[in-house]
Amino acid sequence: MSGLFQVPWSDYRSDLLDALWRTVSYTLAGFVGAVLLGLAVALLRLSRAWLARAVAAVYTEVFKNVPLLAIIFLTYFGLASAGIRLDVFTAGCLSLIVFYAAYLSEIFRAAISGVHTGQTEAGEALGLGRAGIFTHIVLPQAVRQALPGTNTMLVDLLKSTSLLVTVSAAELMSEGRLITSATFRALEVYLVISAIYFALCYPLSQLLLLLERKVRAGVPLSPWRRRRVRAARALLAADLGVAADLKETTV
Amino acid sequence: MTEPVTTAKTAGPADRTEAVVRIEGLSKSFEGRLVLDDVNLEVDRGRIVSVIGQSGGGKTTLMRCVNLLERPDRGTVEVAGEVVHRGGRTVCRDLPRLRRTVGMVFQRFNLFPHLTAVENVVLAQRRAGVPEAEALERAVTLLRRVGVAHRGLAQPEQLSGGEQQRVAIARALALRPEVLLFDEPTSSLDPEATREVLGVMRELATDGMTMLLVTHELPFAREVSDHVVFVDGGRIVEEGAPRDVLDRPAHARTREFLAAYESAS
Repeated sequence: MSGLFQVPWSDYRSDLLDALWRTVSYTLAGFVGAVLLGLAVALLRLSRAWLARAVAAVYTEVFKNVPLLAIIFLTYFGLASAGIRLDVFTAGCLSLIVFYAAYLSEIFRAAISGVHTGQTEAGEALGLGRAGIFTHIVLPQAVRQALPGTNTMLVDLLKSTSLLVTVSAAELMSEGRLITSATFRALEVYLVISAIYFALCYPLSQLLLLLERKVRAGVPLSPWRRRRVRAARALLAADLGVAADLKETTV
Repeated sequence: MTEPVTTAKTAGPADRTEAVVRIEGLSKSFEGRLVLDDVNLEVDRGRIVSVIGQSGGGKTTLMRCVNLLERPDRGTVEVAGEVVHRGGRTVCRDLPRLRRTVGMVFQRFNLFPHLTAVENVVLAQRRAGVPEAEALERAVTLLRRVGVAHRGLAQPEQLSGGEQQRVAIARALALRPEVLLFDEPTSSLDPEATREVLGVMRELATDGMTMLLVTHELPFAREVSDHVVFVDGGRIVEEGAPRDVLDRPAHARTREFLAAYESAS
């Protein structure tokens, strides 16, 4: 074992921390952008206007069927040769956004159209407008449906930031390549880099699973919902107490 | 009973015969198939009108035309004295406001599954601008009124069918509607839950709530209704006092329907 680990890791600690921060930055910026663009594309695909639907469908099909690596090369090298020079962070984020937005738009579209029409009708019957129905009825239910797929995409996106090594994006994988060039200890270096990815991805996916369970169980997550449920609990205290007593007596 | 139901306008002797819902010459087709044909109907304030008839006869469509969940092809719909739809065109510029005056209870409850029972009753109030504390207080009062306050913090999926429908009634009452529409509210319920829901509706009737009710519960229609309408093939075949329509039907088709109902039950 002592033969396997010979790289002076303490010398690379700050570089690795910088690289880790950059990986996290790519992941966050890429994911937030992909969610927003994916939602916009999903809404276009559900639009009544055929042109909007067609544009969104073409977008989705194109970016679902082109490898992420090709998109990275196109945004960084391809656009540069056309006179649009993007810095590596922008190009990297843009690649992740356009690629993952295509997948997320499919997840969101399925989730939104999966909300039963009776829900929209109930909202209409209660006098809610279109925006109110979407924000308060359709979207929260669609989020519940979309959460498992979206969470998988987030973890996948985090791992895919490693492809940015090809444009020297200074993230974890690029740092691993640099350390390998300096030490010629490829096995050791890439084992450590893999372990760091695992240490990021595994807790993240477990955390997201927990979030899924909480959302599915209807646990109020936003502060205003928590406040409302707390106030309701106080108002209903007597009724809930009676219910608990009844349950106890039955048991 | 902790509070009056009809709070938007108090039903008094002077406006006892004022029509809250008035439908004239209403027709509606779906993909070329005529579902409603020249239907006229009035629901006066404080009255209960039950619409009965075979499934697929147009009862639900008729009800959904009142709050314009379905837009009629022809005819006039008037709600609370205001023409909202005329000649195939919606003339009401503020549909949300119209719909807040018409509460609706669906056959399949349609509670919002991501919210607790109490939040289901709060949501529309908040969107209508009712302050949070007031909306919450009213929601709790209504849940108590329909007998499900002890389940106020439960998600709809944790509630029985009868409890869900009672929460749906509380939700429909939250905005103090002038009329309540019930679309076969007990069709998907077992006998015990049906009894609970009919109990709540009976109390609403006693309190003078104006109601338009599509139902297969003929004994209940006989008991609470002021007026019974028999719809068949998209037309009103017969209407009148419950005793006349249900006990001494004049039309052969009504007799046929009632005989089939008797033999089925």
